Amino acid sequence: MIWALLAAHVVVAAAVPAFAQRAGGRASLWLAGAPMAATAIWAWTQLGTTTTTSVGVEWVTGLDLEFAFRVDAMGAMLAVLVSGIGALVCVYASGYFSASAVGVGRFAATLLAFSTAMLGLVWAETVWTLFVFWELTSVTSFLLVGFKNTDPVARTAARRALVITASGGLVLLAGFVLFVDAAGSARITDLTALSGGQATAAGVLVIIAAATKSAQVPFHVWLPGAMAAPTPVSAYLHSATMVKAGVILIALLAPALRDTDAWKPLGLTFGIITIVWGAIGALRHVDAKLILAWGTVSQLGLLVTLLAVGTGKATFAAISILVAHAVFKAALFMVVGDIDVRTGTRDINQLHGLARSMPIAFVVSVLAGASMAGVPPMVGFPAKEAAVEAVLGLSGFDQFIVGLGVLGGSVLTVAYTVRLLLGVFSPAGTGHEPTEVAPRRWAMSGPEIVLGAASLLGFVFLTWMTDVVVRPASVLVQQSSEVYSLIRWPGLKDAFVISCIIIALGVVLGWLLHRRRVLDGPIPRGAYGVDLGIDSIVVLARRVAATVQHGSLPAYLATTVLVLLAAITPFYAEVDFDVLYRWDNATQAALVVLVVAASIAATIIRTRLAAAMVLGAVGFGVAGLFFGQGAPDLVLTQLLVETVIVVGFVVGLGALRRRFPAVSRPWLAWRIIASLCVGLVVAVALAASASDRTGTPPIEELTEGAVNEGGGNNVVNVILTDIRALDTLGEVVVLIVVALGIVALAKIRRDEEASGLDAHPIDESDDERLLTEDVTT
Amino acid sequence: MTVLFAFAAALLFATGTWMLLQRRLSRILIGVGLVGHGSNLLLLTSGGPGGSAPIIGTGDPADFSDPLPQALALTSIVITFGVTAFLLALGYRSWRMTRDDMVENDVEDRLIARQRDRDELVEETRLAEREQRDDEGLE
Repeated sequence: MIWALLAAHVVVAAAVPAFAQRAGGRASLWLAGAPMAATAIWAWTQLGTTTTTSVGVEWVTGLDLEFAFRVDAMGAMLAVLVSGIGALVCVYASGYFSASAVGVGRFAATLLAFSTAMLGLVWAETVWTLFVFWELTSVTSFLLVGFKNTDPVARTAARRALVITASGGLVLLAGFVLFVDAAGSARITDLTALSGGQATAAGVLVIIAAATKSAQVPFHVWLPGAMAAPTPVSAYLHSATMVKAGVILIALLAPALRDTDAWKPLGLTFGIITIVWGAIGALRHVDAKLILAWGTVSQLGLLVTLLAVGTGKATFAAISILVAHAVFKAALFMVVGDIDVRTGTRDINQLHGLARSMPIAFVVSVLAGASMAGVPPMVGFPAKEAAVEAVLGLSGFDQFIVGLGVLGGSVLTVAYTVRLLLGVFSPAGTGHEPTEVAPRRWAMSGPEIVLGAASLLGFVFLTWMTDVVVRPASVLVQQSSEVYSLIRWPGLKDAFVISCIIIALGVVLGWLLHRRRVLDGPIPRGAYGVDLGIDSIVVLARRVAATVQHGSLPAYLATTVLVLLAAITPFYAEVDFDVLYRWDNATQAALVVLVVAASIAATIIRTRLAAAMVLGAVGFGVAGLFFGQGAPDLVLTQLLVETVIVVGFVVGLGALRRRFPAVSRPWLAWRIIASLCVGLVVAVALAASASDRTGTPPIEELTEGAVNEGGGNNVVNVILTDIRALDTLGEVVVLIVVALGIVALAKIRRDEEASGLDAHPIDESDDERLLTEDVTT
Repeated sequence: MTVLFAFAAALLFATGTWMLLQRRLSRILIGVGLVGHGSNLLLLTSGGPGGSAPIIGTGDPADFSDPLPQALALTSIVITFGVTAFLLALGYRSWRMTRDDMVENDVEDRLIARQRDRDELVEETRLAEREQRDDEGLE
């Protein structure tokens, strides 16, 4: 079933663009929603399961690389959120986009691709599978955030999101390598607690990677910018999916890395700062969508904090809030998108009296907002209550610092919720007309109602929520969380009293901030700073490319020579002069003299024919040396090739001028030195390799193999035609390509040909011009 | 290993490199040929001392020279042949069309190098425009 669902995602995602061409963009969104809905329904049946369903295929044998998925209680719960909200977002988007909107098919396909990546991430069984899908979510979310690709703001925001999350991906890869090495297995299930320096380093890297994805300060800057995306994207990415990936990662690896030294302090530092800074951000902005975005940052901080605390109660609270947040934040984003579409603005200063004109949006906002603020009778209330209980269960400095973050953050959360609701829905004051509203779109209102009601129903069926949804998943993260429950009515205990104080303080603060109207949101300096950094990287890359890739061929060769020289240095010491001897016999000496003399002559001679002949002489000399070494096949081939080449020189270049141009003069000494250096490198490499021979050549095996398997007596031939037959096939292909190329090059139309033999007389100063140009630029 | 072989291979590489560092395709062609010979010699020499031809039935297999480097060198000879032939065709075309066989600097790479200067220019223009806009905004 797991394979079937994932395959359905992939197939439909590939088919959606073509379908959109025929049936239109909106219909394609419904099609894209179908596999998500099917997945959500199946995952629903798996909720609360105590067994783990695993499937997998081996990826690389021997490397312990497995492409594997598992569905347990956690996987089922997250899949319901990812795919369920995904399907609702598809329906919502079909109302959000007008019938004339372009690129909706592309949007639907990308949304489904993202959903697939997210599903793979929450179902991954090994860290490597998880990593692949982690990166896929980065890439697909980049496409979604930058969906309005003609808008420079969206493009910049998408690039920012990609650079930050993909950098996090690299950190994650490093972390996983260390983790797998320390744990001895890449599997995520049945982890044992690790300790020691390497596990600590893995923990640090995992937390940092999670912080980039889950928008922890200071990596949060990409999230508010991602609001440049169409609102359905925000409703999906920033409620149940993308930003939760980091939190999910922390939850999945917590059983193994929780006890490492840096895990808790680092997680708490990220989390607590993020709770407070995110909530402050939400209070400063006037764009309803940005308020929600900053609220998301704050909530993610809360989740990271609770997971980092590491007590059973805190883990239980974290999983509860994860579920509650996914539902209420998706609903709120949808409402804001609805308002945006129907009024044309999201600025809370310009929205007035929508409670009367948009009743459904109003009711949904109040329900979801109450859940966000932790007010009964919404599912957010017992979840928040669990978090307060978790704080009360701590002691000492932990309690102080976590309490400060969680309780202070809660007050601010209530405040920005109240400010948002008042700002958008409060009746128009004196001097303001109620905002004009376009007609309702049911495709948008429907999913809003479902999600708004879900926050309420979660509270009504709280026992089911506890026993089937939250506890089975939370137990997988931490066994000790099995004793906890979500409590509908705690009675007048400490936690409830604290909750009441939080709500009261938050309402007052929110009301005060609502009264004190802010006209414009703050400038996103952090995001601009990141953009500046990315820009300067691009500029630096161009500079480096321009300096290194300057286009002068001789300079490229000189660079190669320098690298060779540097590479050969360690081998000077390896040369053992005892293995070197003068010569085998006098014939060899005579042949070498011939080769040396001919090759030197080749550099001096300026007559074309003579040069060809001299090159041929080198070839024949080398063939003679081959013969002395016992290589008759080489001799035959060499003689044949050499003859063809000499003929080619004479015939092929018959039209060319008779004399070669003189050696170009600039940098003469340097080029001689470079050439001698190459010779030196070759000599040293040969001597060093001869001095340090280990083992003996497999002549016997090759000989036996030639007779028994290749059925031939000439071992060299059998190697070429049998043992390395595929290489020889490639060689043949190269020769065919060369032959085709030669035919193409030799065909010259009459009008292309330069007229007159001396149309472009040789000008020796050309060489100097080109070479001096290299130096000056 | 004989010093002679090392010397011959080294010299072929040196002279070949020298020819490769020229600006004329006809000279570069000779250079490719020389380096090709050098590398064949290098491959064969690195296989250790010579022996009798590795053909079964012609002698004692214990005296055979190593057939593997020979097979590699054979491949190398053929590929060098292909490259040389291709360069010959290139030189022929270059001569027929321009009466010249100068190897110019890589034009694409030069463009990349110039891009740097253009970037700076664009940035300056953008700044100037922004200042102008700000000035107009003040008025």
